[in-house]
Amino acid sequence: MKRRDFIRDVAAGSLALRFGPEVFAGQASAKAPALQLAAVEGESPYAITKEAVAMLGGMKRFVGKGDKVVIKPNIGWDRTPEMAACTNPEVVKALVELVLEAGAKKAVVIDNTTNQSKRCYVRSGIQEAVKQAGGDMLFVDDYRIKKMALKGAWIKEWEIVLDVVEADKIINVPIAKHHSLCRLTMGMKNWLGATGGARNQFHQSLDKAVVDLAAFFKPQLTVLDAYRILVRNGPQGGRISDTELMKTVVAGTDPVAVDALGASFFGVAPRELPYLGYARERGLGEFELEKVRLEKRKI
Amino acid sequence: MACQTAFFGLFLYLLLGAHYTGEDYIGSTVQRFFHFDPLLALVTIVSARLVYAYFAFALITVVATILFGRVFCGWVCPLGAVHQFSSFAFKKTKFLKPPREEKSSLAWKYYILIIVLAGALFGLDLAGYLDPFSFLTRSFATAVFPSLAYVLSSLNGVLYGLGITGLARSVSQALENWTINVTFVQGFSIGLLFLGAVALNAQKERFWCRYLCPTGALLGLLSRGNLFKLKIDEEKCIKCGLCTQHCETQAQPYPNEKWKSGECIYCQNCASICPTGAIRFPVSARPEKMTNVSNVDLSRRKLLLTTFLGVVAIPFFRLTPVHKRASLKLIRPPGSLPENKFLAKCVKCAQCMRACPTGALQPVLTEAGPEGIYTPRLDMKVGYCEYYCSLCTQVCPTGAIKKLTIEEKNKVKIGTAWVNKSRCIPYVLGKPCIVCEEHCPVSPKAIKFLEIETKLPDGSVAVQKAPVMDIELCTGCGICENKCPVRDDPAIFVTSVGETRSATNRLLLDITKETPVDPYK
Repeated sequence: MKRRDFIRDVAAGSLALRFGPEVFAGQASAKAPALQLAAVEGESPYAITKEAVAMLGGMKRFVGKGDKVVIKPNIGWDRTPEMAACTNPEVVKALVELVLEAGAKKAVVIDNTTNQSKRCYVRSGIQEAVKQAGGDMLFVDDYRIKKMALKGAWIKEWEIVLDVVEADKIINVPIAKHHSLCRLTMGMKNWLGATGGARNQFHQSLDKAVVDLAAFFKPQLTVLDAYRILVRNGPQGGRISDTELMKTVVAGTDPVAVDALGASFFGVAPRELPYLGYARERGLGEFELEKVRLEKRKI
Repeated sequence: MACQTAFFGLFLYLLLGAHYTGEDYIGSTVQRFFHFDPLLALVTIVSARLVYAYFAFALITVVATILFGRVFCGWVCPLGAVHQFSSFAFKKTKFLKPPREEKSSLAWKYYILIIVLAGALFGLDLAGYLDPFSFLTRSFATAVFPSLAYVLSSLNGVLYGLGITGLARSVSQALENWTINVTFVQGFSIGLLFLGAVALNAQKERFWCRYLCPTGALLGLLSRGNLFKLKIDEEKCIKCGLCTQHCETQAQPYPNEKWKSGECIYCQNCASICPTGAIRFPVSARPEKMTNVSNVDLSRRKLLLTTFLGVVAIPFFRLTPVHKRASLKLIRPPGSLPENKFLAKCVKCAQCMRACPTGALQPVLTEAGPEGIYTPRLDMKVGYCEYYCSLCTQVCPTGAIKKLTIEEKNKVKIGTAWVNKSRCIPYVLGKPCIVCEEHCPVSPKAIKFLEIETKLPDGSVAVQKAPVMDIELCTGCGICENKCPVRDDPAIFVTSVGETRSATNRLLLDITKETPVDPYK
């Protein structure tokens, strides 16, 4: 990047931050209230992702021209897509395409992985998918992890991947998985992959940490991959028999509602997940799905 | 010169290439160089009492040396290239002023060779310490590359600070792509030895090749009858002595009858420096006169003494407890042969350490006894064994680590994990954790959890999920130890017991299987 570009981007970015939300809010409120949650079932993970975003009003609702967009899948493990440990590559591919079609300048895909990054990027199929869609795949760089004020209820400050927070727009693309400590890991827990430092310590108060992180990152859009979900031996599985096909993608603007709907694939009531309760208390969203503008579709 | 640069470049390229490229199986990398090395071939075959087919390539070098002399040293050897280049640099900068005539004894490398060969008879592989390929690969893998990567990433910090993010990003992405680990337990000492070997060139041109290299010595012995003999045209010669003064390996071109074909590496320095063009290397089948043998003062008396010393000293290496009992922290890479066979075959080249994606493979200092220095072991505090990786088994040049597919590798147990309940967070502090369970890569997991009660200092009781081992499922990969939040002395740790390769370092009674053959007998 040239210095001139950098200065221009920073200027544009700060202008967008200053005036952006009001401008978009004004546009949205003129029409009928948009959907908060869309769940689409179908054979192709790629097609149902595109459909779900379209039902929410299309990617242009979330991404503006010239935006730098970060897409944060779960690429935490060195596992193939059939193991359902990482987000389905077709889902990521569809989102990168939508983001670029909506006029974004850049679509960056990044995750702070658990196994060796390159292995995770390659074996998950996400590197190849992002390349095909024209996005950029980035390894987390130690120099791009900085301690930031989180101002959470529990975590006051933590090491954060700068490439995620410096983006104009953030899209969270988790996969729905079993987790032995917080029971299920979906959207809000996915933010651990945008942190650095001694993040293993989060386990000592995982439900609260998850909420603090979700409150900090505030994605414009969450797209939950529940095409193939991991039902046991989470969060990385290892056998196809650890997974189940749900063939669904849930897209939403309310991160709490997305996780609440995701829980239903496991037969878990949202009330049973303590972090959803904390998240509602913090005003991050709603887990009682009757109170959410929701539409389900099959294609 | 161009030839040497090309081989050195190829060497670097192949060594850098020995990493996870995005493919699970990498083709031949730098280990192919080793297969052309007659010393490694001879010592490995003798010490392991086993023929390794890839070493057939070494015959090419042997035949080439018998016919054409030590061209291998002068034209191919990448460590030779390093020494020649640094000698050249030291000469140019006047640190090195070669004397008119060098009198130092050239015999040392032959004595070293004899000791190495004597060791091989006892099943001791000493070749790796001073073999040029092993030395260079080890130095680059655990010291030179890591320090370069360290410098680059430090520069990156400056680049980010200056706002030159584009370049900094490219560098950091490249470093990640090439997987250059920067943590090596003995990187410091291996690096210093390498610098020392280079610095010796300020003392004598190609110091290593003249006085130390056992591979050069072996090739020297083979080359005495070669076809190309130095010939000085007596009519043209003005007896200026430049040829002898600037001979890289002290082969003494002038006077003609003193020239030592076993020392000559056919660098052609003498021919090119000769002001009257009097030196040529015509083909001549005339056998070498034995006087030239005594020129490197290999007297029978001294040879016998060295052989005797070697034979007496070798058993010292064996007086360690590692042959009686497996070492707790000697966790060998998956596919490693039983310890005795492993030690007989490992040439300490550190290619496995270069290939290891997490940096878990580290040079051993004390864990494997004196003959095991620089052999590989997994240090789970630095890295761990990646579940879908068998790269170390693919790059081993001698088969000390048997080549394994990923499926085969995942059936190999390199050790066993243990929970230290007096340090484990749920057990002691009554707080949730089970990071180890989350990371356990086998399915079903080898780390299970149970709800346990912990008495807290205020007398209350906390109930938490705490890890318990299912030992039979554990492969010893060590990711649990690596990721344990108890950083200094992890509350879950791997020891070598239960390793598949050993018939004695076993743990569980298994009466269903026949007793495996004890490799120590």
